[in-house]
Amino acid sequence: MTSLSAEQATRPAPAGAEALLRLSGVVAGYGGGDVLKGVDFEVPPGSITCIVGPNGAGKSTLLATVSGLLRPRQGRIEFRGRDLVGTSPKGILEQGIVQVPQNHSLFREMTVRENVEMGAFLVRDRADVRRRLDEIVEQFPVIAERGKDKAGALSGGQQRLVEFARCLMLDPKIVVLDEPSMGLDPKTLRAVFATVRLMHEQGRTILLVEQNARAGLKLATHGVVLENGRVRFTGTGQEVLRHPEIGALFLGGAARSEPASPARQETTGEMNRD
Amino acid sequence: MGTSIVEAIIDGILTGGVYALMAAGLTLIFGVMDIINIAQGIFVVLGAYLSYALSVHAGIDPFLGLLITIPALFVIGLGVEWGFIRRLREGDRTAMSILVTYAVSIIIEGVLNMTFSVNYVQIHAWYVNRSVHILGFYLADIYLFGFAMAAVLLVALYALLYRTRFGASVRAALQDRTAARLVGIDVRRVSTVSFGIGVAVTAAGGMIFGATNAFNASSSYDLISRLLAIVILGGLGSMGGALLSAVFMLVLEDVVAVVWSPIWATAVFFAALVVVLSVRPAGFFGRQVARAQ
Repeated sequence: MTSLSAEQATRPAPAGAEALLRLSGVVAGYGGGDVLKGVDFEVPPGSITCIVGPNGAGKSTLLATVSGLLRPRQGRIEFRGRDLVGTSPKGILEQGIVQVPQNHSLFREMTVRENVEMGAFLVRDRADVRRRLDEIVEQFPVIAERGKDKAGALSGGQQRLVEFARCLMLDPKIVVLDEPSMGLDPKTLRAVFATVRLMHEQGRTILLVEQNARAGLKLATHGVVLENGRVRFTGTGQEVLRHPEIGALFLGGAARSEPASPARQETTGEMNRD
Repeated sequence: MGTSIVEAIIDGILTGGVYALMAAGLTLIFGVMDIINIAQGIFVVLGAYLSYALSVHAGIDPFLGLLITIPALFVIGLGVEWGFIRRLREGDRTAMSILVTYAVSIIIEGVLNMTFSVNYVQIHAWYVNRSVHILGFYLADIYLFGFAMAAVLLVALYALLYRTRFGASVRAALQDRTAARLVGIDVRRVSTVSFGIGVAVTAAGGMIFGATNAFNASSSYDLISRLLAIVILGGLGSMGGALLSAVFMLVLEDVVAVVWSPIWATAVFFAALVVVLSVRPAGFFGRQVARAQ
């Protein structure tokens, strides 16, 4: 893995409104080693911020620190100016940050409907849960169609959509998505990304890690390149996508070229290296 | 012979119900925490001794004594979880749990031997040696009462798991711990309480065991081997599997004891385990894929 130059590494975070989420000097890891070695970046409100980087860059670890699954050893994670470090996953949810993890995370032995209801586990008022569920069912027809089926019986794409539906039950401010395209066929991928766009249009800020770097950056308003536990580059999604060295490193050497559609990339196999 | 076999089947179902209760606790603990609780056998014996002590020293009926012994075992379970299980590292907790809970078992066995000596004892009550004559069969009162109690507690456990918010959090943690945390479930608390519940049910099972068998602390070895065989056959982590397998195993054992010989009954119990696992490696209702961590 070739590192980017120092000038590129020090490029400032995207300009814009006050950051909704700000990470400063975040160091985190498992066991004895550090996976994140001082991560700084900002997530502007209303953005789709996409983190890309090679395998082992620390992308999923980064999301784990944001959602409270992993406590950083150093640094700050501020949400609307309030430090979240040390807050439990439950506390993070209550702040309005909801994560959809990488692997299929539905409760397989529960029905689709039960799974979506579990998204509002923290809401004790059952009438509120029902009201919210009705709204979500309108957005996600699969819940009405397959509501009584066990979640484990759904296809990969359907499971992903139900995961999205579940995460929206708390009406989150930030939706954190860990590789939403993983394992999906091109058609399903388009449906999943359309849902991400819809969540964004509804006013939610999206923070996602995307294995399919080009498709993720094309979708994103902002991009963050993570390499070896450090942020190497940030910019708008298009800036990151078109940057020559970034393209060569992470996008299969297709710098400056107009990105192909996700469907085409999927089938041509020139996706990415992370 | 025919009557004896039917009686053996009925006895197997009745005792199977009690074993199902004890095995349900063991499989609940494994399902939620990936902990193989080798101490479940000694907890059963501890429950039996507590009922025995309350009966002998305070004159409290063993069934009534459950109002004391079930909460006592629940609290002991919480203590063991806090003192030993919680400290295990995530990566190798299943393997380490075998060692740790075995150590817990040895400690409790030593305390019981010091307190009650190694002499065998048995719980006595007016219904222990009585039986009723129903449709030509003689059925021991204690087995009938024990089965009824186990049925009530299993229904209560089912209601807890499937009709309450806490139960939903247990089932979620049982299926995917990370996803459970990400919907706001305090998985550590759920695990602690589940361990407490899993241990608490041994108080009831232990009371029936102590009323139907002479026992000492070493009886735990036979118990844990049977309980492990039951939950493995049923499918680790499956409550329904534990119930089915407990009844299946105990009926099989009792029938073999009648038609063949009591000497072979225990051997057939474990032979059945080997045969079933060779056909269904995950047991009757075992998870086919590893749970996401």
